[in-house]
Amino acid sequence: MSKTKEENVGVVREMRPRSEIDESSERQELERTWRAIPGLWGWLSNTNHKDIAMRYIVTAFIFFLLGGLEAALMRLQLSKPENTLLGPDLYNQIFTTHGTTMMFLFAVPILEGIGLYFVPMMVGTRNVSFPRLNAFGYYCYLLGGLFLYAGFLLNVGPDTGWFSYVPLAGPEFSPGKRVDIWAQMITFTEISALVGAVVIITTIFKQRVPGMSLNRLPLFVWSELVTSFMIIFAMPAVMMGSGMLAMDRLVSTHFFNPAEGGDAILYQHIFWFFGHPEVYIIFIPATGFVSTIIATFTRRETFGYLALVLSLIAVGFIGFGLWVHHMFATPLPQLGQSFFTGASMMIAIPNGVQIFCWLATLWGGKVNLKTPLLFVLGFVFIFVLGGLSGIVLASVPTDLQVHDTYFVVAHFHYVLIGGAVFPLFGALYYWFPKWTGRMMSEHLGKLNFWLLFAGFNLTFFPMHQLGLRGMPRRVYTYLPEMNWASFNLVATIGAGVMFLSVLTFLINVWVSRRSGAVAGANPWNAATLEWATESPAPAYNFIHPPAVNGRYPLWTRTAETPVVTGLSAERREVLLTSVVDALPQQRHELHGHSIWPLVTSFAVGVTLIFGIFTPWAYPVGSALMLLALYGWFWPKEGPKQYGTKEEQKLFFKHQTELSLRGQDPI
Amino acid sequence: MREEQMVLDVKGLPEHGFDTREPMWWGNLLLLLIETMTFVIAGAAFFYVSQNFNIWPPPRTETYSQLNPLPGLGNPTANLIALIVSASVMIWVDRSARRADKRAIKIGLLICLLLNLGSITLRAFEFMSIHVRWNSNAYGSVLWAILILHLMHLIVETAEAFILSVYTFNRPLDPRHRLDITVLAVYWYWVTIIWIPLYLMIYLGPRFH
Repeated sequence: MSKTKEENVGVVREMRPRSEIDESSERQELERTWRAIPGLWGWLSNTNHKDIAMRYIVTAFIFFLLGGLEAALMRLQLSKPENTLLGPDLYNQIFTTHGTTMMFLFAVPILEGIGLYFVPMMVGTRNVSFPRLNAFGYYCYLLGGLFLYAGFLLNVGPDTGWFSYVPLAGPEFSPGKRVDIWAQMITFTEISALVGAVVIITTIFKQRVPGMSLNRLPLFVWSELVTSFMIIFAMPAVMMGSGMLAMDRLVSTHFFNPAEGGDAILYQHIFWFFGHPEVYIIFIPATGFVSTIIATFTRRETFGYLALVLSLIAVGFIGFGLWVHHMFATPLPQLGQSFFTGASMMIAIPNGVQIFCWLATLWGGKVNLKTPLLFVLGFVFIFVLGGLSGIVLASVPTDLQVHDTYFVVAHFHYVLIGGAVFPLFGALYYWFPKWTGRMMSEHLGKLNFWLLFAGFNLTFFPMHQLGLRGMPRRVYTYLPEMNWASFNLVATIGAGVMFLSVLTFLINVWVSRRSGAVAGANPWNAATLEWATESPAPAYNFIHPPAVNGRYPLWTRTAETPVVTGLSAERREVLLTSVVDALPQQRHELHGHSIWPLVTSFAVGVTLIFGIFTPWAYPVGSALMLLALYGWFWPKEGPKQYGTKEEQKLFFKHQTELSLRGQDPI
Repeated sequence: MREEQMVLDVKGLPEHGFDTREPMWWGNLLLLLIETMTFVIAGAAFFYVSQNFNIWPPPRTETYSQLNPLPGLGNPTANLIALIVSASVMIWVDRSARRADKRAIKIGLLICLLLNLGSITLRAFEFMSIHVRWNSNAYGSVLWAILILHLMHLIVETAEAFILSVYTFNRPLDPRHRLDITVLAVYWYWVTIIWIPLYLMIYLGPRFH
């Protein structure tokens, strides 16, 4: 038995007999410490990352279904000229709610939700860094979504499009409360996205298992990291923009009123400074799914890890230099337009690098064509087509020609459904066994895929041609002599096929949850740490978090690869490691259940909802929030000490000296 | 299965640390990054709308003071000085928290609280010294937005300092709350530092326009 002290103070690395690493008693202790409180109170005060993340995923999927039904209604209305199924006002509400739902209530939350579920597991920790903040984010998101749909069902749904341009959305042309509901919904969901990003970044930075230095971070975790940073830089813009819009409408400020020196174009700048990165906020996590799924189903390491990581980061940066290409139809200086054309074309380079890395991985691997991989292949096909129409749109003259037509609708559905929804379905099939302990049906899965693939292309490919023939977006009907009817009918049939596809998915989930084959811990023989524990994972994720010795830890681990012991099972303790090299630094107790996140989100809700009627809601609501936060942060008891008093004092003194001298290593 | 397994026993590791060791420090930093972005957007809006006016700042709408559209300098400058002084005191509080010098923390926090209450009061007068209402024109709207956003931070950090003071005066000083104080200090520095460019932009910039 060898016993070597690590250079880090306080860590012992040694071989121990398995019998000595007593699992059963520790397991019981962990169960007791981490289990959820039963009953409604326990449900409302739960802060386990897997439970909160699953709520995100399920809620977002329900919104996806609602948004899909709205899309189906629009397709029915447009299936023939001069149709009278929906009137113009209802049609306006429906396309606005559809876009808003898909962007703010479905895409970002579900991708962040999957991140919140798997990032902690992939980095080998027990819960996220700020469990209560995480729960708060979910409740804000839920309130925002319910608020939007309450408005919609009361026939006061927003009707100015998902980006609510002024002056249409301003006080002059949109009286009433419709746009205010949209603006406050934005604030709710962006609070949620922002706190989710903070939680994800901190968890990745501080809670990785020993051995997982940044250059061994799984690609999915990299993608969530880059996305989270993009959220932090992009989302404040839309909060400010929608806030200014709300203030213009509520207290007569003049941010966007040209008569008093305000500017309608300023709104577009602020919105798209968020709006374009938003596209990548949706797309980048999906690339994480793709890299993960391709590695697992080709049974080899992804080709070009470094190139893929650098591409992600490059996309993250360049994504902030593209926003003006949404505004080519506004009077902007030519030089500015050329710059943004250049940047828009430049982003094809890192995206192209990623596609080629994936193709190279597929080329050299033993391809195991299961449903998740099928969806990924569908993604490659559709996304490349969407990228090609994107190059058309990046060029100013062609963009002007097809601006605000169905060509644009076709393009962004190709990149968003192709780039995010296909990988997402792949990811749902891939991780379903980890969530439920059961496999999904391959037959239904393949049916699901082919219906979606065929239905998608049937729906959206004809829209390119419709756009070239001049059919504008957001018209509730058209005249027979425009010669748009046949393509519109094809698109509507395609939407029907997509509907069947999603129905197949729901049936598959229903059937597989009850009678799918039992999955076991690692049914795909995948390489990342979420598969190193049983399915579904226990509340504490791992009995002993496994340290890693490479980028694909489960493929390379040996008995020499250590597991982490010595974390207290009596309290919610996790291991903190250094940011770059993941060297063990300290043990850290996480907070447990708390009802205060819910209470605080209610305070936010009161503020924002009453804030559409009176400005006094803001000071009153802020006071409520402050009270709720006092409840949140008020300590219930002094922290329990672990280890002897003298040891604690010694280590703390050592660290205090380091920090006073400014020598603490990151 | 092998009989033996390599373990990494971390029982001997400490439970508390400062700065980059602590998730709280990173979370705080990221929140400040978010807030910095909101001020960047507000600043961009300030310069953007300035293009729409022939005279900048735009002339006042009240007849008696049309000649001087510039914002007053007295209150804002006094406030800037108060902010810088309180941040300097905070540096001392920060270092005292690391040394676990409870008496110094108590005195320092009280001074900071008083200075911040002063800042909040001065801010109320600042709204008057800019001589423009939020609904007069876009210039007024942006100015009010920036002042209110920053005022919100002043109030939040004061509330945070207040609760930490209450805690420090009533309970033994444990490591977790010493960390909280150092994190509060980072927030405090940020509230002061972010105000310097905004002060230059709002109050000095127009004088050289």
